[in-house]
Amino acid sequence: MIDQFRDWEKNRHAYAKAWKEKTGGKVTGYFCSYVPEEILYAANILPVRILGSHEPQDVTEAHIFGMYCPFCRDCLAQGLKGKYDYLDGLLIAQSCLHIRQAYTSWIKHVPVDFSYYLPFPNNVQSPRAVTYLAGEIKAFKTAIEKWTGKEITDQDIRDGIKIMNENRNLIHRLYEYKKKENPPVSGEETMEVAISQQLVDKKEHSEALHKLLGSINSVPDGKNNGTRLMILGSENDDIPFIRMVESVKGTIVIDDHCIGTRYFWNNVHENNGDLITSIAERYINRPACPSKDWIIRTRIKHILQLAHDYRVKGAIVIQQKFCDPHELDIPAISRALNAAGIKTLFLEFDVTVPVGQFKIRVEAFLEMLQEEDIF
Amino acid sequence: MISIGIDAGAKFIKAIVLKDEKIVAKGQILAGFEGKENVEKIYNRVMNEAGISPGDVNSVTSTGSGRKMVDFATNSVTDVTAAAKGALSLFPGVRTVIDVGAEEGRSIRCDNNGKIIDYAVNEKCAAGAGAFTESMARALEMSLEEFGSLSLKSEKEIPMNAQCAVFAESEVVSLLHAKTPKADIAKAVNDAVASRITSMVRKVGFEKEIALIGGVAYNVGFVKSIETDLKDKIIIPEYPEYVSAYGAALLIK
Repeated sequence: MIDQFRDWEKNRHAYAKAWKEKTGGKVTGYFCSYVPEEILYAANILPVRILGSHEPQDVTEAHIFGMYCPFCRDCLAQGLKGKYDYLDGLLIAQSCLHIRQAYTSWIKHVPVDFSYYLPFPNNVQSPRAVTYLAGEIKAFKTAIEKWTGKEITDQDIRDGIKIMNENRNLIHRLYEYKKKENPPVSGEETMEVAISQQLVDKKEHSEALHKLLGSINSVPDGKNNGTRLMILGSENDDIPFIRMVESVKGTIVIDDHCIGTRYFWNNVHENNGDLITSIAERYINRPACPSKDWIIRTRIKHILQLAHDYRVKGAIVIQQKFCDPHELDIPAISRALNAAGIKTLFLEFDVTVPVGQFKIRVEAFLEMLQEEDIF
Repeated sequence: MISIGIDAGAKFIKAIVLKDEKIVAKGQILAGFEGKENVEKIYNRVMNEAGISPGDVNSVTSTGSGRKMVDFATNSVTDVTAAAKGALSLFPGVRTVIDVGAEEGRSIRCDNNGKIIDYAVNEKCAAGAGAFTESMARALEMSLEEFGSLSLKSEKEIPMNAQCAVFAESEVVSLLHAKTPKADIAKAVNDAVASRITSMVRKVGFEKEIALIGGVAYNVGFVKSIETDLKDKIIIPEYPEYVSAYGAALLIK
């Protein structure tokens, strides 16, 4: 059912190269889920999210601090090793310094034709944030136009918004199924869909999602009937970890991380006056990354709502090692979840996770959640 | 009703036989390289000691990091559940269970009904566990028993970084070169391991009574360090290394 998504996720580079050959278009890599891809789709550019490989590496030590998060080091390693040698451009929107260092080092050591740093406001709660970001998105649009030599019209932007919105709507519908007693898709399968969403042409991805949603009702009940869990935290595209959790009778029904819901949760209003301002509003108002979630910590309310809607029994709270924004959030979020009767398990992620050790902890966590049946 | 609990730990495999919830036999064997063979050896040994055959056994529950090796088990639980069940069955007043084995340290907090509220397991490094103490005793050229009791003779407080077993060992070597008395070094090591464990205990929160289980509970110096750090008396069962196997045996399926 999800073979196509899994294939895209596994063969991301081959896909991007083939897309480029097929369309003759440009491919840009982007760091961080705050890059407004609507503008790229408006310019017929394929945006691909830069992700790590989860393989140990020895090439970044000279370029990035050892105490920067393993995800940003893993991403940079991909660039230094030439895994993304097909990229025409590289982009980043400001979120945290660690990933910005990966971007800066990449463009210095592996130059690309076009690179762009989008100064996304950190204080998204400021009443001036939308105006500021709209100005920056306009500047970004102009830079793209200059690079491609082609004007991006309002109609192009409208098309870009439509492509993004449709894809987000479809994955929302998939997540709706996860509210069911026995969801027809597992957490692992959902993650394959979510990761590939950020790697392939969204028009193709939406077609595949349509097919998936069309066949989903034929999935027999009882497939994913483990303890209902949510997973929160830093960037997480660790499929073997999710597989392990689900192999010991946990079922991940919802997430709050930037590969999952934080990436696609809200839409751009298509009929709300100035299109660029609408795009800015979408990115300012989306579920926040902790690097931007202040002065008020809005994530707590959102996470509790997700936990309620998806009837979760426990939450696995993960943190990429050395990810300070998450480290700051985690005690408050765990406390709020515990107060709402949802137990939490904290795990620190690295490039590779010690699956054996984590398995024992996850199993113990699940036993704690199911102890009525055990004792 | 005969039930057997097998705790396949990182270093030793412990087995216990219960007849109507009373211990009738117990034994342990080094896990070694042939873990699965040794599981069967200890299983047969405790059955012999209890005078029973496999046909008499109603339930076998496995636990421990090697619990998958016990492929004939009828039930399997994690170390956390087994430790809590065992300790609270022996001492119903216990609310905090500290379990320190060869490779892992755990702290488990339970409520008034004996249910687990929260737990923590030491991170990837073995500095907060028994294997580390063993290697430190080796560095001081003494047995673990001597290491523990010698530690009690020192009143000194030498700070040691036990975040990492490798760094800690190099600190011990530096202390040896500085002609620091062995008793002081032994106490420094026990204090450091205890501090790793108590930071975990504080993380999950603790309340009285506190039980210490696992083989490291035999190290009297470590026990004193933990008690000093937590400013509380610790309950130590008669056979601390068997508590998880006992808890497993009680979890019948």
